Amino acid sequence: MTDATFVQLLDLACGAFLLTAVLVLWRRELAAIVWLFALQGIALTALIVVLGARQGDVELILIGLGVGALRAGLLPYLMRRALVAGGGGRETQPLVNVATSLLVAAVLAMLAYALSQPLVRLSPTPATQAVPVALTVLLIGFFLLVTRRRALSQLVGFLLMDNAITAAAFLTTSGVPLVVELGISLDVLLAVLVLQVLTTRMRAAFGGTDLDELRELHD
Amino acid sequence: MNLVGTLFVASLSCCALAAAAALTAPAKARLWLAGLCTAAAGACGAAAGVAALAGQSWSAWLPGLLPLAGARLALDPLSGAFVVVTGTVAVCAAIHGIGYCRHGLDGRVFQAVLPVFVASMLLVPAAASVSTFLLAWELMAVSSLLLVLAEHRRNTSVRRAGLWYAVMTHLGLVAILVGLVAFAAGAGGESFAQLREAGLPPAVKTVVFLTTLAGFASKAGIVPLHVWLPRAHPEAPSHVSALMSAAMVNMGAYGVVRVGLDLLHGGPAWWWLLVLAAGAVSALYGILQAAVSSDLKRLLGYSTTENLGLVMVGVGAAGFLAATGIPVLATLALAAALLHVVNHAAFKTTLFLSAGSVLYATGVRDLDALGGLRDRMPYTTALFAAGALCASALPPGNAFVSEWLLLQSLIHAVPGSGVAGAVTMPLAVGMIALSAGLAVATFVKAFGVGFLARPRSAEAGRAEEVPPVMLGGTALAVACCVALAVAPTVVVPALGRAVAVVFPGRDVVSGELTLRLAGVSGVVSPLLIAVALLVSVMAVLVLVRVAATRRARRAARLWDCGAGPMSARMEYTATSFAEPLQRVFDNVLAPESDVDVTPMKESAYLVERVRFHARVPDRIEHRLYDPLIAAAAAVGRRARVLATGSVHRYLGYGFWALAGALVVLVVLW
Repeated sequence: MTDATFVQLLDLACGAFLLTAVLVLWRRELAAIVWLFALQGIALTALIVVLGARQGDVELILIGLGVGALRAGLLPYLMRRALVAGGGGRETQPLVNVATSLLVAAVLAMLAYALSQPLVRLSPTPATQAVPVALTVLLIGFFLLVTRRRALSQLVGFLLMDNAITAAAFLTTSGVPLVVELGISLDVLLAVLVLQVLTTRMRAAFGGTDLDELRELHD
Repeated sequence: MNLVGTLFVASLSCCALAAAAALTAPAKARLWLAGLCTAAAGACGAAAGVAALAGQSWSAWLPGLLPLAGARLALDPLSGAFVVVTGTVAVCAAIHGIGYCRHGLDGRVFQAVLPVFVASMLLVPAAASVSTFLLAWELMAVSSLLLVLAEHRRNTSVRRAGLWYAVMTHLGLVAILVGLVAFAAGAGGESFAQLREAGLPPAVKTVVFLTTLAGFASKAGIVPLHVWLPRAHPEAPSHVSALMSAAMVNMGAYGVVRVGLDLLHGGPAWWWLLVLAAGAVSALYGILQAAVSSDLKRLLGYSTTENLGLVMVGVGAAGFLAATGIPVLATLALAAALLHVVNHAAFKTTLFLSAGSVLYATGVRDLDALGGLRDRMPYTTALFAAGALCASALPPGNAFVSEWLLLQSLIHAVPGSGVAGAVTMPLAVGMIALSAGLAVATFVKAFGVGFLARPRSAEAGRAEEVPPVMLGGTALAVACCVALAVAPTVVVPALGRAVAVVFPGRDVVSGELTLRLAGVSGVVSPLLIAVALLVSVMAVLVLVRVAATRRARRAARLWDCGAGPMSARMEYTATSFAEPLQRVFDNVLAPESDVDVTPMKESAYLVERVRFHARVPDRIEHRLYDPLIAAAAAVGRRARVLATGSVHRYLGYGFWALAGALVVLVVLW
C-alpha cells in the first residue's frame, strides 16, 4: 500500500465515520438510525483494518474485524430486536429541532478541530490528523444523548460516543492491546443488554420509552 | 530476609489467615480460630517491632504489588516502637474479643475485618513510600469504620457516630494526601529516602507540614479535630475501641514525628509551638470533658484525647527545643512522648477491655446506672482498678514515669530556649500538672462510682463475672502496665534508639534501677517507689489489723439519719461527683441544665413533679461544627432546584460542562 492510497483510504473511512454520525442527527425514524449506526460500525472496521494493513499487523486487523462484528453486527441486531418488540416509531419531538442540531454539530466539529491541534502537532501523521473526526463524533454522540427523548436514540448516542473513543484510541496509538479492546467491547455489550432490558421494563411500566417519564421517580 | 522481616511477614500472614478463617470456619469455631490467629499476628508483629527496636532494620520493595511505584516497606526503630504497641494491643484485644463477641458480634464479615484492621495498623508505620503509606492509612480508616458500624442495627446512635467518623477520617486523609503529594512532587520521588534528601523551599515545607499536621491531628483526636473520637469510641464494640484508642490514634503521633521531624528534618520553632499548644489544649479540654462525662466509654474516649495531647506536647517540645538548639532536651522530650504512647496504650487497653467486660455483663455503660460490681465481678474490678491507677499519673502507675520525663524536659528547657520558651514552657508545665490532677479525679470517679458501693440499677445488680478468656486478655494488658511501671529502665533506652532515628547520637537515660537523665540533673526510680509504696501500704494494713484485733468486734446498725433504710438512690453518682468540677470550669464547659416543675392541678404551690435534666455538650463541636454543618445543609437544600428529576437535564449538565471546559481549554491554550 503506497502512502497516497493509505491516506485516501483512511480519509474515506473517517469521512464515512463522520457522515454517518451527522446523518444519525438528521434522520428521525428509529429504524434508520439503527441502520446508520451499523454503517458507522463498518466505517470503524474499515478504519482499523486500513491502519492494521498499513502497519502490517495481523492482530490489529483481527481486532478490527472483531470490533466490526460487534458494532456492525451484534449491537444493531439487538437494537433492531428491541425496536421490533416496541413496534418501531419515530423520534417524535427532540428537545432541540433537527436544523438546530445540525448547526450545533458544525459548531462542535469546529470545537473538536481547535481542541485537537496540540495533539496533531505532537506527531503530524495522517492518522493523528484524523483525530478531530473522532472527537467530533464523540461530542455529537453526547449531544444526541442529551437532546433525544426516546431510549433507543439515546442508546445510539451512547454507542456513538463509544465508537468515537475506540476510533480515537486506534488513531492516536499504534494499536490497542487485545485485552483492553476486549474489555471495552464487553462493557459496551453489557451496557446495551442492560439498556435493552430497561427499555422493555419502561415500556411495561409507562407504555412508552420517553425517558422524561422517569421524572415521576423523583422524590 | 532477616529476623525482623520474617516476623513481620509472618504477622501479616497470620492476619490473612485470621481473615480467611473468619470467612470460612463454621460458626462454632470461628471466634476461637479468628481470635487466636489475630493474637498470633499481634504477637509476631510485636516481636518484629522489638527486633527492630533492638537495632535490626529491614526494608523491602515489592514492585508488582502496587501500580506505577510498587509497595515499599521498611522497619527502623521508630517504626518498630509503634509496631510493638500495635502488636501487643492486638494480642490483648483479640483474646478479649473471643469472649466479647459471643453475643451477636460473631458474624463472618466483622470477624474478618478485625485482622485486616490490625494488619493495616502494622503497615502504616512500616510504609516507606508515599503511596504505600496512603494506601495503608486508607485501609486503616475504612476497616475501622466498618468495625465501628458493627452494631448499627442495635442502636441508631452508632450510625451517627459512623457518619462523623467517616467524614472526619476522610477529610484527614485528604489533608495528608495533599500534603504528601505536594512533598513528593517537590522532592521528585515518592520513597521516604528520596523525601529525606529533598531540599524544598521553606514555604512549600510549611504547607506540607501544616496540611499533614491537620490530617494527623484529626486521627490523634487533637482539639479541635477530635469530635469524631468521643462519638466513635463509645459506639464501637469494646475490643475495637481498645484497638482504636490504644493503637490507631498513635498513628497520628507517628505521622507528625515521621513527617515533621524525620522527613522534613524539623523546621522553624513556630511549627512546633503550634503542635505544643494544640497538644496542651487537647490535654486540658479532653480531661475536663472526661471528668464531667458519665458514660464510661465516652469518658475513656475523652481521656484518649488528653493523653494524645500530652504526647503532642512532648513531640512539639522536642521539635521546638531542636529548633532552638538544645538537642539534649529535645531527645528527652521525644523519648518522653514515645514512652507516653506506650504507657497510654497499655493502660487504655486495660480500661477499654474492662469497660467491655462491664458492658458485656450488664449491658450498661452509664456510670449513673452502674455500681456494686466489686462483689459481683471481683476480677474485672481489680483489673479496672489497676488500669485506673496507671491512668492517673500517680506512682506507682506507668503514666507517672512518662509524665515525669516530659515535665523534666520542659522544666529544664526554660533557661536556654529564649523568650518563646520562657513563656510557653512554664505554661505547658502548668497545663500538664492541671490535667494530671483532673485525671486523678476522673479515674477516681470512674472506678469509685462505676464499681464500688451498691448497684444503681437492676442490670448492674444482675451482673456476673465475665468468661476467663476475657479476663485473660485484660490481665495481659495489666501485666504490660505493671512491667512498664516497674521497669522503665529497660524500655526507655530501647525507645532511645527510636528517638535516635530523628535526633541521632545521644543516649537519653542511663542506670539499671534508677533512671538518670543524660545531660541534665534528674533521677527517678519507679521500682524503688513502687516497693516503698507497697511496703508502707502493707505496714499500715498490718498495723490496722493488729490494732483492730485487740478490741472485740461489735455489730451495729448503720446510722442513716433516721430516714432509713438507705437505698441506692442516695449514693453519690458520677454526675454529682463531677458537679463541683463542673462548677469550677463553668466558663469553659458551658453546661446546659433544664429544670421542669409541674405543679399540681389544685394549687400552684404544691409540686407534683420536678424534672431536672443536665448535660455537658462538647462546646467546640457546638461552636465550630454546627454552623459549618448548617451551612452545608443550606447549600444542599438550595441545590435541590438543580435536580428536577429529568434525565435530559442531568445529561445536559454534563454536556454543557464538558463543552464549556473544552472551549476554555481551546481559548486559553
